Amino acid sequence: MTRSTETTLPAAQGQYPPTEDMLSEPVPAAERAAQEARLRRAWATPRGLRYLTAVNNTEVGKWYTMTALVFMLLAGIMALIIRTQLAVPENDLVSADRFNQLFTLHGSAMMFLFAVPMFEAISILLLPGLLGARDMPFPRLSAFGYWCFLIGGVFVISSILFDVAPRAGWFMYPPLATQDEGPGSDIWLLGLSFIEVASIAAAVELIVGTLKCRPPGMRVNIMPLYAWYVLVVGGMILFAFPPLIAGDFLFELERSFDWPFFDPTRGGDPMLWQHLFWIFGHPEVYIIFLPSIAIAAMIIPTVARRPIVGYSWIVLSAVGTGFLSFGLWVHHMFTTGLPSISLGFFSAASEAVVIPTGIQIFAFLATLMVGRVKMTLPMLWIAGALAIFTMGGLTGVMLALAPFDFQAHDTYFIVAHLHYTLFGGMVFPVIAGVYYFFPFFQKKLLSERLGRWAFWLIFCGFNLTFLPMHLTGLWGMPRRVYTYPTGLGWDGLNMISTVGAFIIAAGFAVFVWDLIRPKRRQPQIPRNPWDAGTLEWTHDVPEEAWGVRSIPHVTTRYPLWDQPEMQARMDAGRYYLPDASEETRETLVTSVIDAEPIQVQRVTGPTWITLLAAGFTGGAFIFPTFSWYPAAIVSGALAVCCILYWLWTSTARPPQVDTKDAGLGLRLPTYASGPASVGWWGMWITMLGDATAFASLIFGFFFYWTSQADFPPPGSPHAEAALVALAAGCLTISWALTVGARWLNRQTRVGAARLCLILAPLAAAGGATALMSSVWPLDPTAHVYPAVLWALSIWNAVHAGAGVIMQFYCLAGSLFGKLTPRYDADIWNVSLYWHFHVLAVLVTCAVMGLAPGVF
Amino acid sequence: MQDDRAPVDEELQEFAEERASLLKITLSPVIWALHFVICYGLVAVTCAKGWDIGAVRTGLMVFSVAALAAILWAGWGSWRQWNPRETGDFVNRRGRAEDRHHFLGHAAFLLSIISFLGVIFVSLPLALLGDCR
Repeated sequence: MTRSTETTLPAAQGQYPPTEDMLSEPVPAAERAAQEARLRRAWATPRGLRYLTAVNNTEVGKWYTMTALVFMLLAGIMALIIRTQLAVPENDLVSADRFNQLFTLHGSAMMFLFAVPMFEAISILLLPGLLGARDMPFPRLSAFGYWCFLIGGVFVISSILFDVAPRAGWFMYPPLATQDEGPGSDIWLLGLSFIEVASIAAAVELIVGTLKCRPPGMRVNIMPLYAWYVLVVGGMILFAFPPLIAGDFLFELERSFDWPFFDPTRGGDPMLWQHLFWIFGHPEVYIIFLPSIAIAAMIIPTVARRPIVGYSWIVLSAVGTGFLSFGLWVHHMFTTGLPSISLGFFSAASEAVVIPTGIQIFAFLATLMVGRVKMTLPMLWIAGALAIFTMGGLTGVMLALAPFDFQAHDTYFIVAHLHYTLFGGMVFPVIAGVYYFFPFFQKKLLSERLGRWAFWLIFCGFNLTFLPMHLTGLWGMPRRVYTYPTGLGWDGLNMISTVGAFIIAAGFAVFVWDLIRPKRRQPQIPRNPWDAGTLEWTHDVPEEAWGVRSIPHVTTRYPLWDQPEMQARMDAGRYYLPDASEETRETLVTSVIDAEPIQVQRVTGPTWITLLAAGFTGGAFIFPTFSWYPAAIVSGALAVCCILYWLWTSTARPPQVDTKDAGLGLRLPTYASGPASVGWWGMWITMLGDATAFASLIFGFFFYWTSQADFPPPGSPHAEAALVALAAGCLTISWALTVGARWLNRQTRVGAARLCLILAPLAAAGGATALMSSVWPLDPTAHVYPAVLWALSIWNAVHAGAGVIMQFYCLAGSLFGKLTPRYDADIWNVSLYWHFHVLAVLVTCAVMGLAPGVF
Repeated sequence: MQDDRAPVDEELQEFAEERASLLKITLSPVIWALHFVICYGLVAVTCAKGWDIGAVRTGLMVFSVAALAAILWAGWGSWRQWNPRETGDFVNRRGRAEDRHHFLGHAAFLLSIISFLGVIFVSLPLALLGDCR
């Protein structure tokens, strides 16, 4: 170690793990009261209009769930109109065009505005409670994500009121969607891309939260199963959503500028969209299903009054399903004429995924069999979920066989199958979760009687609607037709489905009324109404905004069952972080595998800036829908300014003191940089998603090469090789200068580091200019080959631009004392960004420069 | 991912080993994924470009056997890490370092079984379908 001591940050000091003597020592009453007062002030929820500035996970989580619920109800109303239209043959309630808008928006809203956001919402709401954390590591990121979701969601769903909703089906197949007139397809593409960005933000937050904010002692083998599922699903989002974002990018370039990515007359291929969409779309089904079934994994041990049977088996199931679900996408494309041997791979993988899915259901049943089951209301919903999901799974096994799928494709059999999997795999478990966790987040109980009514109405209504649809489909009724002639045997079945749909709606009305009816007269609820064993039931009743009074030392899977003194010690403030000595918000950061305490992390508080940032980001996505590009550019620039202000003022500021008393004789650092810090992990995970999107573009390039005999077309001009080489050189130099600046800064050679940070943006700007110049003479509307070169160049130039902003941010940090040799988290994160970027640049330049010679 | 400022002592080494083992539980599924992608990608290109599908099939079946062997090897390692026969503990639900060690072995072992089955499933079309029709 050659570094001077002044750049070395202190490590944790003191006793860990705590001894029984330390834990049994009482806390003086006066000290306890003073600590509570300080914590209350630090975590106070803003009142009045300023309530909107709240960033605490409990507030953001409630807004998020309620918003997703409202979108679900709106999409449900669309379903009722669809069902009413189809109740009788040759009905003319709505026009064909309106019908197209209705089913497109019903599917899109249920998937993008309800199912996926609901996972994020519930996780933001629950995860800190499950982990005994005060808050998520990046509360403002959650708030930003929520506001993006709200703005994007309102924009997309309200389009139907203006008769301009997307109408090409929820998967937007070209050429129908690319050639559709009016802004419908653009609203879908831009509005939902915006929401996908919010989803990735939530995934980053949840993964880092699970890895770094567990309570001391909660090793990976004892964390709640829900946390395992969050980890798996977060990882899946990082690999599933970016291909769709890349697809959206190409699609919107075609819609706006006529670049022919999906137009076969100019070398494009509509199949590329189908691949990119379903590489996203099939894992998405599991992204929806896994966290919902995770709720079952929390409820079942409680009702069975015993630990889950086969904890490791459920972890296997979650991880295994996560992997296998990426090998299924082509089963949505069985009828596109791919070679049978290719279909065979996907058919086989689709059958294989049944194994891990089945294992977790058997683990649940085993737990119920060996436990003493108390049939509570949440359990009733879980039982319904398992029954319905199993039926959906069985039709899934049928549909995974390509020859059967050839027959059933695009019929109501598919509609029945997907609703069985989604109601059983998502809607029922989520409602079970609402009943189960309502006392946790609202400190009230829902009505047992109304809950049973809602269950039986929805359960019966559901089967009445969708069971006959299997037959309707097998009798040949295609999906997405706005009406049908009489005499084909479909009349009665459709009428039954419509009646069932209204019974479901009645059930939801009962459920929603139970949620929102005033409950002020209800007496105070017991703290742990279900006698559960997991940490969230140590919550304070009545509510306190601090999350947990003190962060416990956890050594068992069901601490409330196995560590009987824990609750009293938490309440007394005997554990970690019992105080907020500076009245600022803090939480504990622990190590990834064994959850050893390593840092006291300051977390951010209420602010308007996230709202502003989300508003401007929304503008950047929404204005292009109407081709208002200057407004979009201004809005995007303002969004960048807001985000920079937010980062500058509240993240990785040098602390006043280096270490802090964390309680129980432990002193922890207050600052971390590099892999020890949560920010670095956030960047790492974000860039993994970004790299996936980039890989999807490269996949596109090779896809064209595979699918066409002449790609690149003979005689076509290529990117200017010398300029491509220059771009690769300049951007590599910029990367080296950034990494060099990090090293020099750590060596206390601040002047040299600043010089690097002045030269690095110049090199990056030069590289980006060279890259754009290399494709400048090519006409991207002429053929897909120049278009894909342009798309790759734009992608990299924009990333270089972001890299330049980051380099200047570090330079400013160094000049104004935010970034010092000792406190250098920012430059670590920026270097990490550049590692990823330079790799992407080198791959791009290799493809662009070498393609003409190789192919 | 190692924080290079901290001194490297025995404890840290052990920890680094465990950190690697969180990734190690995904080793077998990663082998499955690579096998899947290579089979699909190579066959798709072969059919599109009119290469010799017979040779590619044979090569991929050899590759399948190699993937199965790799998964067996990973599974054997994780079985020894789980070590239920000596510890007599199949569930590892306590919060000690050794429980976590055995648990990660157990999870990796189970994932190896599922990946092994997955590779067999995905290899079936290679064995059963002969051409690009």
